[in-house]
Amino acid sequence: MDWFEKELSRALERKDPPRGFAERVTARAAGQGGAPVETRSGRPRAFGLPRWLPVAAALLLIAGSGEQAWRRHQGMVAKQQVMLAMRITAGKLNHIQTHMREARQ
Amino acid sequence: MIQLESVEKAGCDFAELVREHQSMVFSLSYHFLHDRDKAEEVAQEVFLALHRHMADIKSPDHAVSWLRKVAVQRSIDETRRRKRRPQVALELVAEPAAHSPSRDPLLEEVLRRLIATLPEMPRAVMIMRYQEDMDPTEIAEVLDMPLGTVKSHLQRSLALLREKLERRGVGDR
Repeated sequence: MDWFEKELSRALERKDPPRGFAERVTARAAGQGGAPVETRSGRPRAFGLPRWLPVAAALLLIAGSGEQAWRRHQGMVAKQQVMLAMRITAGKLNHIQTHMREARQ
Repeated sequence: MIQLESVEKAGCDFAELVREHQSMVFSLSYHFLHDRDKAEEVAQEVFLALHRHMADIKSPDHAVSWLRKVAVQRSIDETRRRKRRPQVALELVAEPAAHSPSRDPLLEEVLRRLIATLPEMPRAVMIMRYQEDMDPTEIAEVLDMPLGTVKSHLQRSLALLREKLERRGVGDR
Protein backbone atom coordinates (compact mmCIF):
# COMPACT_ATOMS: atom_id res chain seq x y z
CA MET A 1 0.00 0.00 0.00
CA ASP A 2 1.55 3.35 -1.02
CA TRP A 3 0.96 6.73 0.69
CA PHE A 4 -2.07 7.43 -1.48
CA GLU A 5 -3.83 4.20 -0.57
CA LYS A 6 -3.00 4.80 3.09
CA GLU A 7 -4.59 8.24 2.82
CA LEU A 8 -7.65 6.64 1.23
CA SER A 9 -7.93 4.16 4.09
CA ARG A 10 -7.71 7.00 6.60
CA ALA A 11 -10.25 9.10 4.70
CA LEU A 12 -12.67 6.18 4.58
CA GLU A 13 -12.29 5.06 8.18
CA ARG A 14 -15.55 3.98 9.76
CA LYS A 15 -17.54 6.78 11.38
CA ASP A 16 -19.86 6.46 14.34
CA PRO A 17 -23.52 7.02 13.53
CA PRO A 18 -25.40 9.83 15.31
CA ARG A 19 -26.00 9.24 19.03
CA GLY A 20 -28.96 6.97 19.82
CA PHE A 21 -28.90 5.32 16.39
CA ALA A 22 -29.05 1.73 17.69
CA GLU A 23 -31.90 2.61 20.08
CA ARG A 24 -33.88 4.27 17.28
CA VAL A 25 -33.43 1.26 15.03
CA THR A 26 -34.40 -1.31 17.64
CA ALA A 27 -37.41 0.81 18.67
CA ARG A 28 -38.57 1.05 15.05
CA ALA A 29 -38.06 -2.67 14.57
CA ALA A 30 -40.00 -3.48 17.74
CA GLY A 31 -42.78 -0.97 17.12
CA GLN A 32 -45.93 -1.48 15.14
CA GLY A 33 -44.93 0.98 12.45
CA GLY A 34 -41.34 -0.20 12.43
CA ALA A 35 -41.50 -2.17 9.24
CA PRO A 36 -41.44 -0.03 6.13
CA VAL A 37 -44.48 -0.41 3.88
CA GLU A 38 -44.03 -1.59 0.31
CA THR A 39 -45.03 1.15 -2.14
CA ARG A 40 -46.56 0.64 -5.55
CA SER A 41 -43.14 1.00 -7.10
CA GLY A 42 -41.96 -1.86 -4.91
CA ARG A 43 -39.65 0.36 -2.88
CA PRO A 44 -39.98 0.27 0.89
CA ARG A 45 -41.40 3.47 2.35
CA ALA A 46 -40.93 4.51 5.97
CA PHE A 47 -43.81 5.12 8.39
CA GLY A 48 -46.49 3.87 5.95
CA LEU A 49 -47.48 7.39 4.88
CA PRO A 50 -48.25 8.35 1.29
CA ARG A 51 -45.48 10.39 -0.34
CA TRP A 52 -47.77 13.32 -1.18
CA LEU A 53 -48.84 13.79 2.45
CA PRO A 54 -45.79 15.77 3.67
CA VAL A 55 -45.94 17.94 0.52
CA ALA A 56 -49.65 18.65 1.09
CA ALA A 57 -49.00 19.42 4.77
CA ALA A 58 -46.17 21.79 3.82
CA LEU A 59 -48.39 23.58 1.27
CA LEU A 60 -51.17 23.96 3.84
CA LEU A 61 -48.69 25.37 6.34
CA ILE A 62 -47.32 27.80 3.79
CA ALA A 63 -50.84 28.85 2.76
CA GLY A 64 -51.84 29.23 6.42
CA SER A 65 -48.80 31.27 7.33
CA GLY A 66 -49.26 33.37 4.16
CA GLU A 67 -52.83 34.18 5.13
CA GLN A 68 -51.72 35.03 8.67
CA ALA A 69 -49.05 37.36 7.33
CA TRP A 70 -51.61 39.06 5.04
CA ARG A 71 -54.00 39.56 7.97
CA ARG A 72 -51.19 40.93 10.09
CA HIS A 73 -50.30 43.33 7.30
CA GLN A 74 -53.92 44.50 6.98
CA GLY A 75 -54.06 45.03 10.75
CA MET A 76 -50.93 47.18 10.64
CA VAL A 77 -52.34 49.31 7.79
CA ALA A 78 -55.62 49.82 9.72
CA LYS A 79 -53.67 50.75 12.86
CA GLN A 80 -51.59 53.29 10.92
CA GLN A 81 -54.79 54.81 9.45
CA VAL A 82 -56.35 55.13 12.93
CA MET A 83 -53.16 56.75 14.27
CA LEU A 84 -53.13 59.23 11.36
CA ALA A 85 -56.82 60.09 11.94
CA MET A 86 -56.08 60.63 15.65
CA ARG A 87 -53.14 62.90 14.83
CA ILE A 88 -55.29 64.98 12.41
CA THR A 89 -58.11 65.23 14.97
CA ALA A 90 -55.67 66.23 17.72
CA GLY A 91 -54.18 68.88 15.41
CA LYS A 92 -57.63 70.30 14.63
CA LEU A 93 -58.62 70.32 18.32
CA ASN A 94 -55.37 72.11 19.17
CA HIS A 95 -56.06 74.65 16.47
CA ILE A 96 -59.65 75.27 17.76
CA GLN A 97 -58.40 75.51 21.35
CA THR A 98 -55.80 78.11 20.34
CA HIS A 99 -58.48 80.15 18.51
CA MET A 100 -60.79 79.99 21.54
CA ARG A 101 -57.96 81.13 23.86
CA GLU A 102 -57.19 84.03 21.54
CA ALA A 103 -60.91 85.00 21.31
CA ARG A 104 -61.21 85.06 25.11
CA GLN A 105 -58.20 87.37 25.45
CA MET B 1 -39.79 -21.23 15.86
CA ILE B 2 -37.14 -23.71 14.77
CA GLN B 3 -35.66 -21.06 12.50
CA LEU B 4 -35.62 -18.47 15.29
CA GLU B 5 -33.87 -20.92 17.60
CA SER B 6 -31.25 -21.65 14.96
CA VAL B 7 -30.69 -17.95 14.44
CA GLU B 8 -30.20 -17.42 18.16
CA LYS B 9 -27.85 -20.39 18.34
CA ALA B 10 -25.84 -18.86 15.51
CA GLY B 11 -25.31 -15.84 17.77
CA CYS B 12 -27.44 -13.46 15.70
CA ASP B 13 -29.36 -11.35 18.17
CA PHE B 14 -30.84 -8.38 16.30
CA ALA B 15 -30.04 -5.70 18.89
CA GLU B 16 -26.53 -7.10 19.20
CA LEU B 17 -26.07 -7.04 15.42
CA VAL B 18 -27.21 -3.41 15.32
CA ARG B 19 -24.80 -2.40 18.08
CA GLU B 20 -21.92 -4.30 16.54
CA HIS B 21 -22.35 -3.23 12.92
CA GLN B 22 -23.91 0.22 13.14
CA SER B 23 -20.62 1.97 12.32
CA MET B 24 -19.99 -0.27 9.32
CA VAL B 25 -23.46 0.20 7.83
CA PHE B 26 -23.64 3.93 8.61
CA SER B 27 -20.15 4.54 7.19
CA LEU B 28 -20.85 2.62 3.98
CA SER B 29 -23.88 4.83 3.39
CA TYR B 30 -22.14 7.99 4.57
CA HIS B 31 -19.12 7.54 2.33
CA PHE B 32 -21.42 6.70 -0.54
CA LEU B 33 -23.86 9.60 -0.10
CA HIS B 34 -21.66 12.13 1.74
CA ASP B 35 -24.72 13.23 3.71
CA ARG B 36 -25.07 12.30 7.41
CA ASP B 37 -28.87 12.59 7.57
CA LYS B 38 -29.42 10.53 4.45
CA ALA B 39 -26.82 8.03 5.61
CA GLU B 40 -28.69 7.56 8.89
CA GLU B 41 -31.97 7.11 7.04
CA VAL B 42 -30.45 4.50 4.72
CA ALA B 43 -28.67 2.73 7.59
CA GLN B 44 -31.93 2.50 9.55
CA GLU B 45 -33.70 1.03 6.52
CA VAL B 46 -30.89 -1.52 6.11
CA PHE B 47 -31.25 -2.72 9.71
CA LEU B 48 -35.03 -2.82 9.44
CA ALA B 49 -34.64 -4.98 6.32
CA LEU B 50 -32.29 -7.21 8.32
CA HIS B 51 -34.93 -7.47 11.04
CA ARG B 52 -37.42 -8.75 8.47
CA HIS B 53 -34.89 -11.25 7.13
CA MET B 54 -33.46 -12.48 10.45
CA ALA B 55 -34.75 -15.97 9.75
CA ASP B 56 -32.53 -16.17 6.64
CA ILE B 57 -29.35 -15.21 8.45
CA LYS B 58 -27.26 -18.30 9.06
CA SER B 59 -24.24 -16.96 10.95
CA PRO B 60 -22.62 -13.73 12.16
CA ASP B 61 -20.38 -13.72 9.05
CA HIS B 62 -23.43 -14.11 6.85
CA ALA B 63 -25.00 -11.14 8.66
CA VAL B 64 -21.93 -9.01 7.91
CA SER B 65 -21.88 -9.79 4.19
CA TRP B 66 -25.68 -9.38 4.00
CA LEU B 67 -25.46 -5.96 5.68
CA ARG B 68 -22.64 -4.82 3.41
CA LYS B 69 -24.49 -5.87 0.30
CA VAL B 70 -27.81 -4.30 1.30
CA ALA B 71 -26.14 -1.10 2.55
CA VAL B 72 -24.47 -0.61 -0.83
CA GLN B 73 -27.66 -1.48 -2.75
CA ARG B 74 -29.75 0.94 -0.68
CA SER B 75 -27.15 3.67 -1.04
CA ILE B 76 -27.18 3.21 -4.82
CA ASP B 77 -31.01 3.33 -4.76
CA GLU B 78 -30.89 6.55 -2.76
CA THR B 79 -28.41 8.10 -5.22
CA ARG B 80 -30.63 7.14 -8.15
CA ARG B 81 -33.69 8.46 -6.37
CA ARG B 82 -32.03 11.82 -5.95
CA LYS B 83 -31.05 11.54 -9.62
CA ARG B 84 -28.01 13.67 -9.18
CA ARG B 85 -24.46 13.39 -8.10
CA PRO B 86 -23.24 14.88 -4.80
CA GLN B 87 -23.89 18.59 -4.69
CA VAL B 88 -20.25 19.56 -4.22
CA ALA B 89 -18.53 20.38 -7.49
CA LEU B 90 -14.90 19.39 -7.72
CA GLU B 91 -13.95 23.00 -8.34
CA LEU B 92 -15.44 23.93 -4.97
CA VAL B 93 -13.42 21.39 -3.03
CA ALA B 94 -10.94 23.15 -0.80
CA GLU B 95 -7.29 22.92 -1.66
CA PRO B 96 -5.61 20.30 0.49
CA ALA B 97 -2.56 21.11 2.55
CA ALA B 98 0.23 19.40 0.65
CA HIS B 99 3.11 17.22 1.84
CA SER B 100 2.31 17.03 5.53
CA PRO B 101 3.85 13.89 7.00
CA SER B 102 1.22 13.62 9.76
CA ARG B 103 -2.48 13.02 9.42
CA ASP B 104 -4.14 15.60 7.21
CA PRO B 105 -7.88 16.10 7.86
CA LEU B 106 -8.28 18.48 4.93
CA LEU B 107 -6.77 16.00 2.48
CA GLU B 108 -8.99 13.27 3.93
CA GLU B 109 -12.09 15.41 3.37
CA VAL B 110 -10.99 16.17 -0.19
CA LEU B 111 -10.53 12.45 -0.83
CA ARG B 112 -13.97 11.64 0.62
CA ARG B 113 -15.55 14.24 -1.65
CA LEU B 114 -13.63 13.03 -4.68
CA ILE B 115 -14.74 9.46 -3.98
CA ALA B 116 -18.34 10.65 -3.65
CA THR B 117 -18.12 11.98 -7.22
CA LEU B 118 -17.19 8.61 -8.73
CA PRO B 119 -19.87 6.70 -10.63
CA GLU B 120 -21.93 4.31 -8.45
CA MET B 121 -20.18 0.97 -8.95
CA PRO B 122 -16.57 2.21 -8.84
CA ARG B 123 -17.54 4.21 -5.74
CA ALA B 124 -18.99 1.11 -4.08
CA VAL B 125 -15.84 -0.87 -4.94
CA MET B 126 -13.52 1.83 -3.57
CA ILE B 127 -15.49 2.19 -0.34
CA MET B 128 -15.49 -1.57 0.25
CA ARG B 129 -11.78 -1.77 -0.51
CA TYR B 130 -10.61 1.12 1.66
CA GLN B 131 -13.28 1.38 4.36
CA GLU B 132 -13.85 -2.31 4.90
CA ASP B 133 -10.37 -3.45 3.82
CA MET B 134 -11.97 -6.14 1.66
CA ASP B 135 -9.93 -7.82 -1.05
CA PRO B 136 -11.17 -7.79 -4.67
CA THR B 137 -12.48 -11.38 -4.43
CA GLU B 138 -14.69 -10.54 -1.43
CA ILE B 139 -15.92 -7.38 -3.14
CA ALA B 140 -16.76 -9.35 -6.27
CA GLU B 141 -18.81 -11.79 -4.18
CA VAL B 142 -20.72 -9.11 -2.28
CA LEU B 143 -21.47 -7.02 -5.37
CA ASP B 144 -22.14 -10.01 -7.66
CA MET B 145 -19.54 -8.68 -10.06
CA PRO B 146 -16.79 -10.42 -12.05
CA LEU B 147 -13.40 -10.22 -10.33
CA GLY B 148 -11.86 -8.58 -13.41
CA THR B 149 -14.46 -5.78 -13.28
CA VAL B 150 -13.70 -5.13 -9.60
CA LYS B 151 -9.97 -4.93 -10.31
CA SER B 152 -10.53 -2.67 -13.27
CA HIS B 153 -12.78 -0.34 -11.22
CA LEU B 154 -10.08 -0.18 -8.54
CA GLN B 155 -7.26 0.61 -10.99
CA ARG B 156 -9.20 3.20 -12.91
CA SER B 157 -10.57 4.92 -9.81
CA LEU B 158 -7.13 5.07 -8.20
CA ALA B 159 -5.62 6.54 -11.36
CA LEU B 160 -8.44 9.08 -11.66
CA LEU B 161 -8.22 10.17 -8.03
CA ARG B 162 -4.40 10.45 -8.19
CA GLU B 163 -4.70 12.59 -11.30
CA LYS B 164 -7.30 14.87 -9.70
CA LEU B 165 -5.19 15.27 -6.59
CA GLU B 166 -2.05 15.98 -8.61
CA ARG B 167 -3.94 18.69 -10.49
CA ARG B 168 -4.50 20.23 -7.06
CA GLY B 169 -0.82 20.13 -6.27
CA VAL B 170 -0.67 16.99 -4.12
CA GLY B 171 1.86 14.64 -5.67
CA ASP B 172 3.73 11.51 -4.60
CA ARG B 173 5.17 11.48 -1.12
